[in-house]
Amino acid sequence: MIDLTPRKLLLLDHYADGEEARHFSLRIDKPLAGDLAVIPGQFFMLTVPGFGEAPFTYLSLPDQQGRFNALVRRMGALTQGLFEQPVGAVLGYRGPFGKGWPLFFCAHRVLVVAGGCGLVPLAGVIDEASQHRLPLQLSVIYGARHSAAQVLGRERERWRQTLRFMETCDEAKPLERQGSPLDHFDELFAAEAPEAVLCCGPEALMLATAEASLQRGIAAHKIWLSLERRMHCADGLCGHCYLGTEYVCKDGPTYRYDRYLQVRGAGYPTATKQDQRLC
Amino acid sequence: MRVVPSICTFCGVGCGLGLRVEDGRVIGVEPQPGHPVSQGQLCSKGWATSFAIDPYKRLTQPMIKEHGHFRPASWDEALGRVAEEFRSALDEQGPAGVGVISCARATNEDNYAAQKFARAVLKTHNIDHCARICHSPSVAGLARTLGSGAMSNSIADIDQADLILVIGADVTENHAMIGARMLRAQARGATLVVVDPRKTRLARLADIHLQVRLGSNIALLNGLLQIIFANGWENRAFIDSRCEDIQPLRQHLAGLTPEQTSAATGVTVAELQRLAFLYSHAKAAFTAYGMGITQFQSGTNNVIAVSNLVLVCGQIGRPGTGINPLRGQNNVQGACDMGCLPNVYPGYQAVSDPAVQARFAAAWATELPQAPGLTSQGMLKAAQHGDFRALMIMGEDPLLTDPDQNQVARAFAALDFLVVVELSLTETAKCADVLLPAAAFAEKDGTFTNCERRVQRIRQAIAAPGLARGDWQILAELAVRLGYPGMAWADAEALFAEMAALTPAFSAISYPALDANHGLQWPCDAAHPQGSPILHEHSFPLGRGRLLPVTQVPPDECPDAEYPFAMTTHRLHFHYGGGSMTRKSPLLERETPAGLLFMHPDDGETLGLLNHQGVRVSSRRGYLETRVQLTDDVPVGTLAMPYHFQEAPCNRLTNDAQDPISKMPELKACAVRVEPLPPDQAPSAQAGSREVDHASL
Amino acid sequence: MQAYSLDQPERLRAHLALQHHVYEVRGDGQGGQHWELVSARDFTAFEPAAEPPPFSAKSFFFAERELLFRFDGGQFYSTLPAVEPQVLFGLHACDLQAVAYQDRFFAEDPHYQARRQATLLVGVDCLHSCEGGFCSIVGSGPAVREQRADLILVPRQDHATDWLLLVASEAGHAALRGLRLPEATADWQAERSANQVCVAEEQGPQQEIVDGIVSLNAGKIDAETWEALGLRCLGCSGCTTECPTCSCYAPQDRLNAPASMQRERVWDSCLYQGFQQEASGHNPSATPGQRVQRFWSHKFGDGFKAQFEAYGCVGCGRCDRVCPGGIGVHGVMQRVVHHD
Repeated sequence: MIDLTPRKLLLLDHYADGEEARHFSLRIDKPLAGDLAVIPGQFFMLTVPGFGEAPFTYLSLPDQQGRFNALVRRMGALTQGLFEQPVGAVLGYRGPFGKGWPLFFCAHRVLVVAGGCGLVPLAGVIDEASQHRLPLQLSVIYGARHSAAQVLGRERERWRQTLRFMETCDEAKPLERQGSPLDHFDELFAAEAPEAVLCCGPEALMLATAEASLQRGIAAHKIWLSLERRMHCADGLCGHCYLGTEYVCKDGPTYRYDRYLQVRGAGYPTATKQDQRLC
Repeated sequence: MRVVPSICTFCGVGCGLGLRVEDGRVIGVEPQPGHPVSQGQLCSKGWATSFAIDPYKRLTQPMIKEHGHFRPASWDEALGRVAEEFRSALDEQGPAGVGVISCARATNEDNYAAQKFARAVLKTHNIDHCARICHSPSVAGLARTLGSGAMSNSIADIDQADLILVIGADVTENHAMIGARMLRAQARGATLVVVDPRKTRLARLADIHLQVRLGSNIALLNGLLQIIFANGWENRAFIDSRCEDIQPLRQHLAGLTPEQTSAATGVTVAELQRLAFLYSHAKAAFTAYGMGITQFQSGTNNVIAVSNLVLVCGQIGRPGTGINPLRGQNNVQGACDMGCLPNVYPGYQAVSDPAVQARFAAAWATELPQAPGLTSQGMLKAAQHGDFRALMIMGEDPLLTDPDQNQVARAFAALDFLVVVELSLTETAKCADVLLPAAAFAEKDGTFTNCERRVQRIRQAIAAPGLARGDWQILAELAVRLGYPGMAWADAEALFAEMAALTPAFSAISYPALDANHGLQWPCDAAHPQGSPILHEHSFPLGRGRLLPVTQVPPDECPDAEYPFAMTTHRLHFHYGGGSMTRKSPLLERETPAGLLFMHPDDGETLGLLNHQGVRVSSRRGYLETRVQLTDDVPVGTLAMPYHFQEAPCNRLTNDAQDPISKMPELKACAVRVEPLPPDQAPSAQAGSREVDHASL
Repeated sequence: MQAYSLDQPERLRAHLALQHHVYEVRGDGQGGQHWELVSARDFTAFEPAAEPPPFSAKSFFFAERELLFRFDGGQFYSTLPAVEPQVLFGLHACDLQAVAYQDRFFAEDPHYQARRQATLLVGVDCLHSCEGGFCSIVGSGPAVREQRADLILVPRQDHATDWLLLVASEAGHAALRGLRLPEATADWQAERSANQVCVAEEQGPQQEIVDGIVSLNAGKIDAETWEALGLRCLGCSGCTTECPTCSCYAPQDRLNAPASMQRERVWDSCLYQGFQQEASGHNPSATPGQRVQRFWSHKFGDGFKAQFEAYGCVGCGRCDRVCPGGIGVHGVMQRVVHHD
């Protein structure tokens, strides 16, 4: 049986990290064995008493004491409520949920494409690779609206030392790289063509990234993305995160691109104008 | 689990629902398959009933404000305070300085008690309610042309119409089950025509949509009549047998041309001619209208113009026809019927008629006031002038729903004493000196009257939360404290019986008779023991119908260089009034942002606005901040705002210019200016609210 | 299955009511029908509803307001419903098919299962089709399938004859203990088959439903058609509320006192615009047409049918009756097939 009741989670600390965003340190009270088996890209459900419950991804994975980090951007009532909680506040925790990023796949050179807060779900993978725990050669391109909107300042500082980390802004200042991550694909692919792509960000950016990668010869089964959806139960019951015949909370949130296309179409095929012409 | 039959409270349609009760709590609702109005269906608001009346965030005990803060009080203390304040206001200012604003959501019993309290206890005719701002022009206009201001036909008549004309009403959103019935009629072959400046859902689904210029109703209706006269399409037999002299109206319109009408309304000549032909040749045309007719400074004349069209074509007095004002609140018809208007006793018996005065004085065993009463806006104006001291508001939220919010706030601040009877802490309630917790509809017995004059029973399904009480019980207790014993009814049924005995149109209605049917439509008397689904079959209350020439009046405030947009107000399907009930549903609250400004994409482009960008909207009366929604629902140059949201109260902007006859303020049209906020800046609910905040201190 | 002859279904009902809370659908005399608690001393004649009541058995198991947990400021406390043993008496085959569908969907849900496991289901075969039903097309009825109920009542074409009572489960067998019934002598299999043929004939070929399902799965319905249907969707939530297989819900948190709260789950509807909308404003199903398409694909899509081994639609026709926009199942399928 599933359990829809949260467990106790303590707010240990926080600091500002990007525009309207905060870096939170949290601790699961009395962690269980399963709490230590989190894979980067999975998510947890955070209850802010009185404000509701919402999914967030792990920025760092829980340690033996149940401590982990998360990055939260102020968006609506729940995140506003979280920002008002004092250090030491009791919050609610359920997790981990969903499928994380693939950590072992037949590729060595991997390109990570992140947009905005989409860098957060990828942080675990980047961390693992930068500490050489994964046999990956990682390149990262991170796009944001402008430099003030960039998140994970301390982590980026660290990553820049150990791997190829490229940053670009829609509204760039002098000396900053300008444009969307896609604008730099030619350069990235010319340097050393990746064999696989991991992508997280606004859905439009992810789909464009996938298409641009396909065009450059990367097979659909070597492209991964992570979907954001409204999630309430995280157990595939409440219905909100449907994608075709699946629920993103269980089947995702990470999807191999070919699988994503298949699932999205499986629920409800629609005729397009083009199909009709063919008939 | 048990199911208690009741009536939905979320608009004037009066759908039948069953309250699903478990462990003393309403956990949901079921539609009533056999109900003549709703036929087993409900709208989103009806389905959300259990959230709306949930004890959560309800007022559960009386509160007294001290130093700007509410503190809990006993009923004894709170009612003592109210009685004392009214007594001192009466001593200082006399009955002219006190009054009651009753509630179009409360029962007939509550409303009868409210007007009796005002008249018999406070000795004033200062009694009004929100019909003032929805259908007072219908009451005034149709009284002049026919002699009765209610829907002439029944909702079921839609099934028999072969043409349905909807003017200024967003029926699928605000009277959803009537809209649904119209769509079913269209599916079986009726022609559906919608006249509206906005492309509403019904307009998009209609056979014909005339997208008239905001505020050009009389020009349109006169123009249609002129075409009908010019072609000899009028119903001469009906005019000869049922109407007074038609010549003045003919002469009034003789000089008009279709081209002039087209220029004034923005509707092509061909469309005008087509509608004039179809309407006048329809075997049965059902004419419905809403606040797009009434909420103008020419509201009464707008209604008269509709009435002229209906009479000239003889589309009244038969099944499938009629002139049908769609009432907004669930019991606004009943609150009017019960005499919560300054000029009439229950059953529209004129205060000015000495025989009526004498009858009520005898029945209530007290002297009754002679001086005419004030409307709700009149009371607020008098307060600002220092002539009005103490006011009771039952379940209404004028601070959100009345025009020119800052002016309402100033009036509240000027009162010596404001007592509010409410379910929850509304914006108006925050301004009260004493706050009395009321029972919701599921917590009491009584009756509601829907827009087709159908009186229907509601039944107590659960206990009221905490110390909350029914409105009429509160009023009865206050009456005793003010020295009047004549309101000590045993129960709601006894109260109803007193009312029915004094109200000829209700004389054959009793609770058992209502229980045996799905309600009864008034007039229901010895001559019509089963009620009256159709009015005016053989004659009008005035005898013959009157055709009164009226002339187009533009809105009081039109766009100019400083305020270049015309703005209208409307309602969304998911919310009701000030949102104090519907916004408690997590599902309905999720549907729309708290405040929206609808704007045509071309205007958005001119202003350089992105969809959902924050904007500041200003009129001559105030300003607010909200988000823009770009949509071709509205024409270029016209903006629309729903009025449900305290975070972006569009009535801070609206104009209180009034219809001289009904005192209806012009809520449907004013001029505004729009300035973009920076793309990253969220609109602030506090912007422009200083006077409102002050009034609540 | 074991078959008995039952002189009066009321006798069985009264017997069950000795040990259970028995619920039955009763007319309210004004055209409405509701589930009501029936006592052991209530011998009101059992009359299976000719039309499905607005509410199926769904709310007995998937409650419309279900408390999930409380929080006192320091700890979270799970809550499970305490359910007395209960009987739902006289469920039609379509609604029993829906219970089976939801049993599968909510197999791991403790709240659903707590309610479900306390319940004995007594089904009743239909001799005639209800007005808008098409159980014979989607294979849910009119005869109650063996695994769908604990006991099955079979009325007879000849009203003067005894009813048949079929025992369909161990729990059903146990519930009859203490009730003496003669074994049935009639050829009840043949009777049930004949009843099925009769109902199928009354329901007719329902070609628009059959063709509509094919079109939907072949992807032959274009986005414009879905949007035209979407314009008629008022977002009332009536269809999802009354549909016996709809299962979406939303959480509702309530602060009780400072620092203490509780969470309920409440029925939700995928037809609301806000159903999938994320905090950022992004909405994967932003248009009404997309949402209407989702609803019907969930009911008739091959992908879902493969998962559940049945359609999500049980052919009860409630959506047709409750939809103000005229886009219940027949309304949609007629338009879809017409546009095709």
